[in-house]
Formats: sequence, structure tokens, C-alpha cells
Amino acid sequence: MSFDLIGLPPTEREVEQFVAVRNSESSAAITPLIDQMLANPRYGERWGRHWLDVARYSDTKGYAYGREERRFVHAPAYRDWVLGAFNRDMPYDRFLLLQMAADQLVPADSPDLAAMGFITGGRRFIGVTHDIIDDRIDVVTRGTMGLTVACARCHDHKYDPIPTEDYYSLYGVFHGSDDRLVPLAKMDDAELKKRQLKLADTMQKRRDEAAARLRTRVGDYLAAQFELKKYPEEGFDQILSADDLIPGSVRRWRDWLHTAKDSAHPIFAPWYALAALAESEFSAAASNEIARVIIRPNLNPIVAAAFATPPTSPAELARRYGQIFVEAEKQTNAPGATELHAFLRTANSPAVVPDTGIVNNDQFFPFAAIEELWKLQGDVERRLIDLGTPAALMLTERAPEPNPRVFKRGSPSRLGDEVPRQFIEAISGEKREPFQKGSGRLELARAIASPANPLTARVIVNRIWQHHFGTGLVKTPSDFGLRAERPSHPELLDWLARRFIADGWSVKAMHRLILSSAVYQQAGGTSVSERDPENRLLARFPIQRLEFEQLRDAMLAVTGELDLTTTGKSAGVLDSGNKRRTVFAYVDRQFLPGVLRTFDFANPDTHVAVRHETTVPQQALFFLNGAFSADRVRALAAKLPGGDDKARVVQLHQSLFQRRPSDAELAAAQAFIATANAEAEPVPQFRKTQWLYGTGEYDAATKRLKSFTALPHFTGSAWQGASAWPGSKTGWAQLTADGGHPGNTRAYASVRRWTAAGDAIADITGTLKHEPEQGDGVRGFIVHSRLGELKVASVHQASAVMAVTGLEIKAGDVLDFIVDIGGTLGYDQFLWAPIIKTRDATWNALVEFGGRASHTPHLTPWEQYAQVLLLSNEFAFLD
Amino acid sequence: MNLSRRDFVTKMGMGMGALGLGTLAHAESSSPLAARAPHFAPKAKRVIHFFLNGGPSHVDTFDPKPMLAKYAGQPLPGEYLRTERKTGAAFPSPFQFKKYGQSGLEISDLFAKTAAHADGIAVVRSMYAQVPNHEPSLMLMNCGDSVQARPSFGAWTLYGLGTENQNLPGFVAMCPGGMPIKDSENWQAGFLPGAFQGTFVDPQNREVQKLIENIRSPHASAAIQRRQLDLLRTLNAEYQRTHTDPRLEARVQSFELAFRMQMEASDAFDISREPAGIRAMYGDHVHGRQTLIARRLLERGVRFVQLWHGAGQPWDHHDNIEGNIRKHSADIDGPIAALMTDLKQRGMFDDTLILWGGEFGRTPTVELGDKGKSKLGRDHNHYGFSVWLAGGGVKGGTVYGATDEFGFKAIEKRASVHDLHATMLHLLGFDHERLTYRHAGRDFRLTDVSGDVMREIIA
Repeated sequence: MSFDLIGLPPTEREVEQFVAVRNSESSAAITPLIDQMLANPRYGERWGRHWLDVARYSDTKGYAYGREERRFVHAPAYRDWVLGAFNRDMPYDRFLLLQMAADQLVPADSPDLAAMGFITGGRRFIGVTHDIIDDRIDVVTRGTMGLTVACARCHDHKYDPIPTEDYYSLYGVFHGSDDRLVPLAKMDDAELKKRQLKLADTMQKRRDEAAARLRTRVGDYLAAQFELKKYPEEGFDQILSADDLIPGSVRRWRDWLHTAKDSAHPIFAPWYALAALAESEFSAAASNEIARVIIRPNLNPIVAAAFATPPTSPAELARRYGQIFVEAEKQTNAPGATELHAFLRTANSPAVVPDTGIVNNDQFFPFAAIEELWKLQGDVERRLIDLGTPAALMLTERAPEPNPRVFKRGSPSRLGDEVPRQFIEAISGEKREPFQKGSGRLELARAIASPANPLTARVIVNRIWQHHFGTGLVKTPSDFGLRAERPSHPELLDWLARRFIADGWSVKAMHRLILSSAVYQQAGGTSVSERDPENRLLARFPIQRLEFEQLRDAMLAVTGELDLTTTGKSAGVLDSGNKRRTVFAYVDRQFLPGVLRTFDFANPDTHVAVRHETTVPQQALFFLNGAFSADRVRALAAKLPGGDDKARVVQLHQSLFQRRPSDAELAAAQAFIATANAEAEPVPQFRKTQWLYGTGEYDAATKRLKSFTALPHFTGSAWQGASAWPGSKTGWAQLTADGGHPGNTRAYASVRRWTAAGDAIADITGTLKHEPEQGDGVRGFIVHSRLGELKVASVHQASAVMAVTGLEIKAGDVLDFIVDIGGTLGYDQFLWAPIIKTRDATWNALVEFGGRASHTPHLTPWEQYAQVLLLSNEFAFLD
Repeated sequence: MNLSRRDFVTKMGMGMGALGLGTLAHAESSSPLAARAPHFAPKAKRVIHFFLNGGPSHVDTFDPKPMLAKYAGQPLPGEYLRTERKTGAAFPSPFQFKKYGQSGLEISDLFAKTAAHADGIAVVRSMYAQVPNHEPSLMLMNCGDSVQARPSFGAWTLYGLGTENQNLPGFVAMCPGGMPIKDSENWQAGFLPGAFQGTFVDPQNREVQKLIENIRSPHASAAIQRRQLDLLRTLNAEYQRTHTDPRLEARVQSFELAFRMQMEASDAFDISREPAGIRAMYGDHVHGRQTLIARRLLERGVRFVQLWHGAGQPWDHHDNIEGNIRKHSADIDGPIAALMTDLKQRGMFDDTLILWGGEFGRTPTVELGDKGKSKLGRDHNHYGFSVWLAGGGVKGGTVYGATDEFGFKAIEKRASVHDLHATMLHLLGFDHERLTYRHAGRDFRLTDVSGDVMREIIA
């Protein structure tokens, strides 16, 4: 139950309590124990993670162009919000509403805005709108209702009554919102403010420039309305020069003309009268049509004058409008000019670039501006990430938005009928009304989080059941469609769903109900019924294999190392210093760590309802050979009492399995230790390493290093500041076997440090080499802790011999091989692997380079034994 | 869709009974990678895919177009086909084509060594993709869908066939110097179990522990591990006396497999164990090495190997194509020819399916830069391009389909990527319409809803 509810092995005290309960033979006696666990904050860290599988949680955006920051700023805050919501037992209907429409439900400074990471945390699909929206439709419909709507993107659903029109109704709901990144804490940081200001200023400038161009080219944009096929929906528009028409603006004109349609429009009445005419009938019909609109009293006088004679072709119609606006810009005092002037400048005008941030308005800029703005946006995001700022990537309503149109066979270049924004007919019935307010997102959320929705409560109750018993009552928890397998206990599912709603959508109440049932409290065991080989009827409690999070957390818990820090930045799952619960691990959907893939972690690309469960040798290799496993067994062995073998074996069994070893196990353990001791191979003696790798600042005045800070992360081939490179603090600083890269400023020079173990006369050889033509090169120094600077060089696409002969060294002397940037950052990678020779020995930086791995001694016999227990099935499975 | 809402609501989640998970139901908990028989007797047992990432020019390699010389410097007649960037006049290939072998297959000088095997090669000259952009086209070629995250061809192959050698990864993707565009999405497992994901290897690393995660123990010798695993077996056997579940035994076995894998993997990736003559034949450079490693892997039962040319998109020859394509072709022409010779001498050519190609081809017209100036290169072209297949059941010396007289657009026997996948699956023994996996309420397949086997290139 402990693993189930909080994802950790029970403490000794909890085991005692449980035994007492079992002996009392009263099923009510377990209630306080359940309550105690549900009140434990560790509960949210376990059950919140189940929801993060549903929400395809990731700390990164997926594949992104180099100009864009690839990490999400908001992901940790969303994760923490989910964990907190489970801990607080937030009613599930509220939980859903906030995740879909918090922007319309809570104040602008509420921490609940983080909830919208549910929608906005998906892949960014290099900004392709249709794919982003498809992902959002999928996570909402499968995640909350077990409905597979995304199939209907290209064709009516094959089995369930979901027509394509319904897909595009939902498409319109999500298309009607922009993403907006908002910090949820006030950051008093000058650098951040500077970067935000730079971004805002540049954005304003580029928008103004774009708008100025748009104002002079109204005629061209209107002409483009006659060949819209050339401008398919937000495809791979690439605008190379500022002279090209901006496809985004062509579409904005299209949408504006569509939504503002009014045959009495003071400026565009002639357009609406004529634009629909076919080219062949144009000249014949134009004069009649124009005669009818030209007499309208509200028609702008400049427009009226321009259409005193009818245009002869659609192209001519567009051209006249172009002239109208160009003239009005020049002669601002002419009657009617003010109106035209204002039209071009209102926020919703097709001739302005919307003020939504580069993530939503990049389609309106030429290439160079896009690159520039993304870079500045990235600077802001990087600073927010470095500062650990909690942030929400929220949705905001976009206006005005035309109704969506069906893309025939999913192709944006084949527009079909317009459809209203509304809920799915299969759920809401034929009498549904189109959504009334804005994008309709709040109305959609309410239709989902409603007791009247026949799916929502059943789906979540089934998910809860699934995580308690290993399999849901419906085996496909995100597919309640007609093709899904029949539930094992349909009445039970309905009854639970009704109870769930009656209990105020309380997830914890549902846990209590299920956990106090006889079926949950029965023992696991061996009997396999021939009539029910899959145990779908739960005649016994199913054996469960621990998921990766439970395994890793348990390994840290049994050694007493588990760090229970909650919330905040994610850390690399196997970073040696990271002893936090696995739910706080960095999930990079583009470069998912191999260990997560190997252990069937939920694929963060897409909504996951049931994790795969595979058994492959790579999992065994992780346990046998991985540093994480070795570190844990060392920690376990370090805690063992001295002396008595038996006491040691008992302690290991107690902490790993919460039971005493059997006599046979005890005997096997003692035999193992005895053999291991007897057959211990001579441990290869690694020379204690002379080399350290770090950063520091060279002080030109004292000609010495100001300070030395070791680089903490070893990748297997490089030492650097963190698993991500560049690191947040140390930047590009890195040392490899044959060279490296200095940090971003001179305060972070990369430093290879050698410490003398004895007295000798030494020669130093080696060459500092800088290869790239670009940039301004690097500076290199050899500094002796007593004697100061021995050698200095500046190289740019050049080499310098860094040699010293006849150097007197004493035990404890330190030699620093320092490289910093030449002047500015960029193209600063260098090659330099010094060699130090004395009469008796040689230290070669290249050959001796390595991480901890190359110096690792063998596990001791007790560590080997502890590892066997960690590898055992008893540790990996629950009964 | 004649169901009423009432019918739907009352039936949903209640199912209409199981319809079966396609023909290949997996007990994932046993071994997802165990070798399995396909639908019918296969002609190919394993696949090697040379991926020329960036998009190789077909009119400079396997699709000769003499008409381009006639129009040199002039715009092509007919419809202007829009690609990613602007292109201008006809740009004839600077390379000579010759007829090779008994079949007289025409191949340019760039692949003169490979051409020695012309009678074993079937060129599909009428391939087309959907858009002129790298990212979606890479996804289409590798995963059969340019938009959504779908399992890769290699992952589907492992799903269908498992792998012959449990001590090695069944699907290996090698790329020197880093990853191609779209990174590991190119060999992703998608909604299939993670075990089917390609294992990425950078062949610039020479030490096996840098090639495969956790393959070497830094803290125990083989003797220590053997002793540990013996004790582990005793403890697990005791546990299994009171617990019944097939997953328990599967996990026991996985440790034994892992133990053996440590030896086998070191051996497979160590090309210094090859005779000097063989090493020389492949060439002592990273492409030679990765191709030779690939052969060692295939020989040991690895099911699918994908060899990428290099990080990023080296074959993206927007400018100065003549020099660039010469260099990149020279990198791989020798290794490909060596592999074909080597497979033949080992009797593996006939059941190893070789695929050569990129995500699309390039324009027969010259790319224009700023102010309409020629860049002496070619833009992306998804309207028509070539791939070729060899070995494993392929009818050599064949040309399938054709592009127009300039090589811009596939016009004759147009072959979609789904057709290519269907054909390759056929050679591996699968009816591509029946190799399905239930996900998100639907039975998915590699070829989505189309795909015809190109029977004419099957021996």
C-alpha cells in the first residue's frame, strides 16, 4: 500500500502498524493508516506522476530550431501544481477546469495559472499550428474523456461517431487562443529586466516596421485574396526578403474581411459588393453593383471618389484600394482620411502585427526579424530558467477569430465548410448550441468537467482503479470507444463513477473507498485460476512490478539518501548529486535519457494511458554496471554494523525487504561473503589521480588564479558544469581529454589542475592550439602556486608551444593550465593536453583524462552482496 | 456512422468484444525482442539503410537527364514547380553517366565503385514525398508520417520480427559526429514499446563503453558478476516458490542475457578483429569503419542498421554542389561497394536488404540566392527523386518508374514512401496491411492507409 499510495517502501513503523491492523482482523482498523498515507505529501509525488503521464509532461519543447530556447520555462511549475493539487485533494472537476481555462477562472496573479501547462506543455512542432492544436485536442479528449478525436483530423472516425466537423469545431476552440508566458513570482533581477526591455523594444520596433510596410501594400494584400491557394494555412512559409508578401498577413486580411463582412461597411462596401464576382462576369456586373453601394451615405468620401467609375477587374479593384490607402496616408487632412488612417492602426486591423509575442506572431515577420526576436525571447527565457522562476505558459483569448473551416483530408490547402465552435455531438446530443463566449474554451472545459458528461467521471475512476490494481476495469483507459474491450465489471464502474461525483469529485475519497475494500486487502499469491488466467476478476491481488520511479526512489530510500526537497527546477535523473525523487527528474522529450527509455518511462511525446512493461537486458545492465546502482550499494554497505556477519545480513534484509532473512538466505549470504573474500582478485591499484578539472579567474595583477571551482559533471568524455551544456552558471566551460572550451567570461576560465605528490624536477611539454578562423581566439597560462605565471600565450587560428623545463616542484605544489576567452565569446574551443615529466614518472593529461569511472575500485564483498539484494525480484516486484 | 448518440453513450467503454490486436499479439513481459516469424516466408532477414541525410541529387547520381544539357542556362518549359527556395535555369549535371553490368544500368561517376554491383541494384526513379522541407520528409521516410510521432521503420521491423541476437541491440542507428536533424525521432519507437527504439551509436567513438550505455562494469570483474548472478538465481528461485508470474522468470533471464551481452557487444564493435585486407577494403575512415561495424552487427543477427552520413544534413547541397557532392559521394562509394562485395563473399547478400537514399531529391534547376544570383547548387525536390534497393529478394539491374525529361517530377509509376515501405515489408515477409498495432483506439500500421508493393523490383 505504501508503494501504491506514496511510491516509497514503508518505514519500519508503518510495517508495525500494518501488522497490528492485520492482527486485529477488523477491516476498519486500516482506515487510520490509509488516512495517514493520504495526508503524506509524498502521495502527490506518486499520484501526480500518473497524471503527468496523461499530460505528456516534458521539460523541453521537442525538436526546435537553433534560434529558439529548447527548454520550457513553465514545465516545473506545472508539475508542482499537479502534485500540489493531488495533495490538497482538489476536486477533480475543478482540477480539469483550471487546466483548460484557468485564464478565465482565477485572478491574473493566481498560482493556478500554472495549471494550463496541461494544454501548453506539448511538443512545439517547430511552430506548425495545426500540429500543435492536434496535440492539444488529443491530450484533452483522450486524457479527460477516453475519446479518440484526433483520428477525425483527416476523416470521420472509423468506429466511433466522431465526424470530421467535430474535430474542427474543437480546432477552432484552440486556434482561438494565444500562448503567453507569465512569471508567477516577482523577480527582482536587473539582468532579467534588461533582457525583457530589450525584447519589448525590439518587438515594438519590428512590429512598427512591418506595419509601415503593410500600410503601403494594401493593394497587394487585397490582390492576394484572389489567389489564396498560394497561401495555405500556416505551412512552411519562408520569407527571405522584406519585399515578399507575408503569407501570415495575407491570411490575416482574409480573416478580417471574413469576420468584418458587412455590405454597408464604410470603407469596404465596394469590396464586398465586387470581390465575389467571377472574373468573367466582372466587368459586366461591376457597374451595377458599384452604383448600389456608391450612394450609401456612410461611405467614406475618399473610397466613394475612387469608385466613381467601376473597376474593370478584380486586380483593378485591389489596386484602387491600394491607392486609396496610400493617398490617405499622404493627405491626412482630406475629408475621410482620418477614418482610413485609423483603420490601418487599430489593434485588430489586418495591417498591424498582433502584439502576442514571437511564439504567436512570427509568421508576420521577414526571416531576419524572426531570428532576432527568437534570440531575444530565448535570452529572457534562459534568464527565467536560470533564476528558477515559477512561470505559467497560459492561454489567452485571441480576437477576432473567424469560425474554423474543415481541412479536407487534413490538408490546410483544401478548405471545406465553416463549422461553429461547439462540443462533440456524440456526447452533447443533437440539441447542442455553439459556444457563445470567445474561443469557447471555458465552455468546452465545463462540458467536460460536468456530472452530465457520461465519460469524464468514469474515465478518471477507471484510471484510479488501474493504478491500484495494475489494470483498469476498462483495459484501455484512454479509449472508451466502441472498439474498446468490455469492462470486467461494468456495474462496478458505473457505481464508482456515481459515488465519485456524489463525493464532490474527491480523488482521496475514491482511494479510501477502494483501499478499504476486501478485494484490495486480499493477499497476493500463487493460485492461478484456469477460468481467469489473466486474473481480470481479481480473485487474488495481482503481483506488480515497480515502475522506474518507484525503483529509483526505493533505491535511494533504503540507503537513507533520499532527498525530499519538493518543487522547483528539474535535475538530470542520473546526475550524481541528484538524490531527489524521480518525479523531479528532467524530462527531455527530444533526448530522453536512455535509462528512462529502457525502463518504459511514459513517452513524453504523446498522451500515455498505460505504460509498456518490457523486460530487456539493458535494464539488467543498469543495475549491474551503472554508477547509480554502485553508489547505492556503497551507501548501503557503509551503514552496516561492524563485526557480526549475521547482523549485517539481517539489517540488509530489513531495510530492503522489511523482513528478516530465512535461515537458508542467511547461510547463502555467509557462503557468498566467504567465497568473495577468499577469491578476491588483487584490486587494480589506480594511482590517485593528479588531475582536477574546474573553472576560475586568472588575475593579471597577481599573476595567479583567483579561485578554483571543480566542474561537477562528467559526461563520459568531458567535464562541465551540468548535464546540459552550456551550463547555467559555467556556460561553455568544458574540459575534454585533448582540450576544451573556456567559460563565457574571463571569470570562468577553464582550468586543468595538477597537484604534485612529491618533490622533483619536472619538464612540462604541450601545445595550445586554436583552430577556428572566426572569433578572436583564446589566452592560455601555466601558473605555479608558489612561483606564479610560468608561461602565457594568446592564439587565434594558431598554435603556441607551452613548455617549461627544469621546474622545481615540491609536494603539494599546484600547476594550473588555464584557458580563457580572447576578448569575446565565440569559436573558443581549443586543444591542449599538457604532459608533465620527472625523472621517474610521466603524467599525461590526454591519457589520464577521465571521470570517476576510470578510477573506480571494485565493489567490496559486502557491497557485492548488497547489490545482489538490490537486483533481486523481491526488490523489483510487489505482492 | 448510423449509431445514435444514445447507442454510443450506452455502449462506450462497454466495448463490443475484443477484435484482436492484429496478428501479432505480444506478451511484452516475456521477451519483446525474441525472434518471430513474419506472415509468410521472407526474402530478406535483415536491413541496412544508407541514409544520405540532406537529400541527394538524383540527376547527378542515378537518374541521368541529357535534356538538361540542351536547356542549360534556360528556364525549363512548362509549369514552375515551387520548392523551398527560388530556383532558376536548367542546371545539367557536371558528372558523366555510364552503363554498367549486363543490365546496362546507368550510374554517374560519383558512384563508380558501387556501380560494379549494378546488376544487383534496383533503382526506383519515381519516388515522391509531400513537402520540400527536411523535418517532415525525414519523418515520412523513416516513420511513414510527416506530421505525427509514429514508430520508425526499424522499430516496426523489430516489432514484427524481433531480433536474432539477444546480446546486441536489434536496431542500431549510426551517425558520425552527432545526430542528424530531428535527432532520435528518426529511429523512435513512437507508441511501440521502448525496447524497439533504435540504439544510437556515434562511430567516432572507438571504445565500446561509449557506444552502449552500461556495457562495461567499472566496479566489478566478470568473475565477481558471475558469483553475484549465481547467488541472485538462488534468491530468485526461493521467491518464485511462493510467487507465480511469468515476468519473474523473464527478469531472471534478462540478467543472464546482460552478462553475455557485455562480451558480445565488445566483440561486435571491435573492428580491429577484422583481417587487414577487409579493413582496407572498407577504408580507414569513419564511413569505412561504420560500414564495417554494420556488417559485423548484421552478421551477428542485428535486424536493422541505419547508417547516416553525418551530423546535421551533409547532403543538403544548396550551393556549390559539384565539389560538395563529389566529396560526400567519395566518402561512401567505396564502403558501399565493399559491403556489397563482402556480403556476397559471406553468402549474406541474398537475404540482406540494402536501401540507399535520402529524405527527398534535388531540383534539376539551379538555386538562386539574393537578387537572383546562381548559387551553383540545387534546392530540395519532393516532386521526384531516386532511391535504390539491393540484395534480399530485389531484382537487380532494374529501373522502376521515371521522372519527367528533366528529372523534376515523378511521372511514370509514381512511388510514394508508403509504396517503398510496403515493398520492403513484403521482402521481410509481411503484408503491410496486417502488421498493425493498437494505439489510441485504432490499429496503426507503418503505411497508414495506402501503399502498394512494387512487384516489378522483386526477384
